Amino acid sequence: MADLLTHYRAGAAFDEMVDDEGSVRPSYHAIHATLDSSTPAELKQIAESLANDYVQAGVTFDIGGVERPFPLDLVPRVIASPEWETIEAGVAQRVRALEAFLADVYSDARVIADGVIPSQLITSSNHYHRAVWGVHPGNGVRIHVAGVDLIRTPEGDVRVLEDNVRVPSGVSYVMTNRSAMITALPDAFANQRIRPVASYPQRLLAALRAAGQPTTDNPTVVVLTPGVYNSAYFEHTLLARTMGVELVEGRDLECRRGKVFMRTTAGLQRVDVIYRRIDDDYIDPVHFRSDSMLGVPGLVNAVRTGGVVLANAIGNGVADDKLIYTYVPDLIRYYLAEQPIIANVDTWRLEEDEAREEVLDRLDELVVKPVDGSGGKGIVIGPRASAAELDALRARVIADPRGWIAQPVVQLSTVPTLIDDELKPRHVDLRPFAVNSGDGVWVLPGGLTRVALPEGELVVNSSQGGGSKDTWVLSPPAHRVPSEPEELPAAEPEPTPAPPEAAPRDAAPSGPLKLGRMPSPLMPLRLGTQRQGSQSQRQGSQSQRQASRPQEEQQQQANGCADGQEALSC
Amino acid sequence: MLSRIAESMFWIGRYVERAEDTSRLLQTHLRLLVEDTSSEVDVCRNLLGLMSVSHVEHPTHEDLLRVLGYDAKEPTSIFACWAAARDNARRAREVIPLSLWECINTTWHQLPSGRFRSARAHTFLDWARERSALFTGIARGTMVRDDGWEFMSLGRALEQVDMTSRLVASASLRSGHTSWPSVLRGCGGHDAFLRTYRGLHTDREAAQFLILDSRFPRSVMHGLQTASHCLSRLTSASGQDARQSQFPTRALGQLRARLEYSDIGDLVDNLDQEMTWVQEVAADVTAAVTTNFFAAEDPTAWITEGTR
Repeated sequence: MADLLTHYRAGAAFDEMVDDEGSVRPSYHAIHATLDSSTPAELKQIAESLANDYVQAGVTFDIGGVERPFPLDLVPRVIASPEWETIEAGVAQRVRALEAFLADVYSDARVIADGVIPSQLITSSNHYHRAVWGVHPGNGVRIHVAGVDLIRTPEGDVRVLEDNVRVPSGVSYVMTNRSAMITALPDAFANQRIRPVASYPQRLLAALRAAGQPTTDNPTVVVLTPGVYNSAYFEHTLLARTMGVELVEGRDLECRRGKVFMRTTAGLQRVDVIYRRIDDDYIDPVHFRSDSMLGVPGLVNAVRTGGVVLANAIGNGVADDKLIYTYVPDLIRYYLAEQPIIANVDTWRLEEDEAREEVLDRLDELVVKPVDGSGGKGIVIGPRASAAELDALRARVIADPRGWIAQPVVQLSTVPTLIDDELKPRHVDLRPFAVNSGDGVWVLPGGLTRVALPEGELVVNSSQGGGSKDTWVLSPPAHRVPSEPEELPAAEPEPTPAPPEAAPRDAAPSGPLKLGRMPSPLMPLRLGTQRQGSQSQRQGSQSQRQASRPQEEQQQQANGCADGQEALSC
Repeated sequence: MLSRIAESMFWIGRYVERAEDTSRLLQTHLRLLVEDTSSEVDVCRNLLGLMSVSHVEHPTHEDLLRVLGYDAKEPTSIFACWAAARDNARRAREVIPLSLWECINTTWHQLPSGRFRSARAHTFLDWARERSALFTGIARGTMVRDDGWEFMSLGRALEQVDMTSRLVASASLRSGHTSWPSVLRGCGGHDAFLRTYRGLHTDREAAQFLILDSRFPRSVMHGLQTASHCLSRLTSASGQDARQSQFPTRALGQLRARLEYSDIGDLVDNLDQEMTWVQEVAADVTAAVTTNFFAAEDPTAWITEGTR
């Protein structure tokens, strides 16, 4: 395997594992050692078993109605503890600012009066919904879940690429990737402490319950899915299952007098909080698309009268519009009086005449994106596009400048990725997930690292055939105290006495011993009673076994009573 | 529990049981075919008729395998059963234990995609039976005994009643030569039957065993009792008034009484009619459970303003 790693050559972009001189960065030492001690054949086997597990478990992503296993690469992306603290703070800061922004634009819009944002930016947004103007969520939260896409530039800086505060998806793969990787590379996990991701469903449920708490003590939470044909259906089931709540479709719900009920075998049951995974456009045929067969008629009215809480709130799309994105640093300064912790990627607003002219001149070297797109749809990468595509784009931009932004082509950072039999650099981004319970924003340690599998490809979206990697956030050294149960290393194979350095010298002299710091007992503990077996199996001691020998022989001989042996019964 | 989920659970139970029983039926008759003196086409047509398949002209045993075995397009095939079970399981994913889902999903992935020669048929049918058995075992070992479990058990019980009655009826298809031992073997009950009747058996005893002996888990009577128990637990657990399960409970009870108190000779003489009756009751109960528990939403019609 040493060959594979010595032959690994990082490209022009920033490589997460190897620095410019070709030496391994400290945070990757453990995973590098694990890879180094495996043969290509072993790695291939691990990769195959990972893929196979995902097919069997139905961890899939639907593309055009066809279920496909979500590709998981076996080389994880590792984030050192100090860097993670910056990311965590930066993501939380953005969520707080966007939360304040949404509260503002759906009430008196100070931000416009104070001249931070032009008013037509709001009024021209397709996702600003007047139907929810003046609706105040009980605990003030509109962004219960956010996904903030981060990239790393060739210089090594982390930047925000976009915010997702409508229905960000992908968190299920963070959890399934981790559990798959623990079985695939146990050594790498044993050699370092990685912050766990499994508490996400509990955090989410707590946030959803908190959202319903102002009106009822014990809110009923449900997850609303568009149905089995949705690309993220797997995620919806996983979240409902791990939160222990019902997964409903629109047709399972019914609105009556401003309240929402679900149809059960025991009649109608009240629903207080809906974690909806359906876009605004489809959620209520009365207010939005009347041809929607996925939504629940009357839901918006129920929200307005406070009969139900939607998470995330309706109308959040105005905050993750890519044109608003260019103003987020200003919003952070305006609402929080803080400096942005993570900067944006440089962006041209095509509405502004000067910017548009410059961009139209340089279309072939920029990335142009629709402001309300998701899933990588509609993105044109200048250097890759044909002349015809660029001409078409130029016409579309001139026709609707509000609908587009432009950014320089950023060479995303790379992580070694197993392609066929070799490790090759492939571009990645990172989507950390934040949950806002009203008492604070919690950021899931890690997030979804998406990887573009074709060589040189920069679009990493799952819907564009991207894969994923497990994301390891290393625990800071302070987390390694053995008293924290979740941080305990994997069980030691033998009950040996603790190593000498674990026996604290200062506790040894007179005075009561501290039980918590005792070395493990020399005698193995006897737990549980003797297990019972049937008569023939319960031959514990040697003497009994010898005594039963004749019986055994007789049983063997009894088959062949014809051959003259003494047999007891035939 | 959500009505939609309850319905999915009910059908998962039915489809998995149907896949198993279909493979049992096929295996039984593939064995019998070898010894049968009447024409292959007649036997196959009768058997397909018993499974309510009428669109195959001049069926051979290969058609039998295709229509009941591996053809994904035939709604009666084992393939279609598992595909339907998986579809329902996918809809009820969050209430099904993970290992159970993996069992269903793996089975679906392993289903043979094309035709295979009849030499491989027994391997396939054995595999199909084992997958259903695995499903049942995992379900028994991991599922909470809540409404979901009861609906699934109800589905299984009704399907088992229906399929055993078809298997029993198939014994009368072959005139002039006794096929009861094969039918008993198909149900996995030959040894139990021999132990119960000490080898001195006649057709009448075999029918009695398969229809009336509630101690044998594949008998019609056992299925009827299980279904009644599920219904009564569902009613008491959901705290609803008994109206929801009134009709199905009554229908099952009447059928039980009818079978239990009729003369076994009459039963055997009118096997076809009696078994058809059993199948009709199973269908009626399914329909009643569907309307009473899985209450379909009232159809809503939307009229845009100004179009009236």
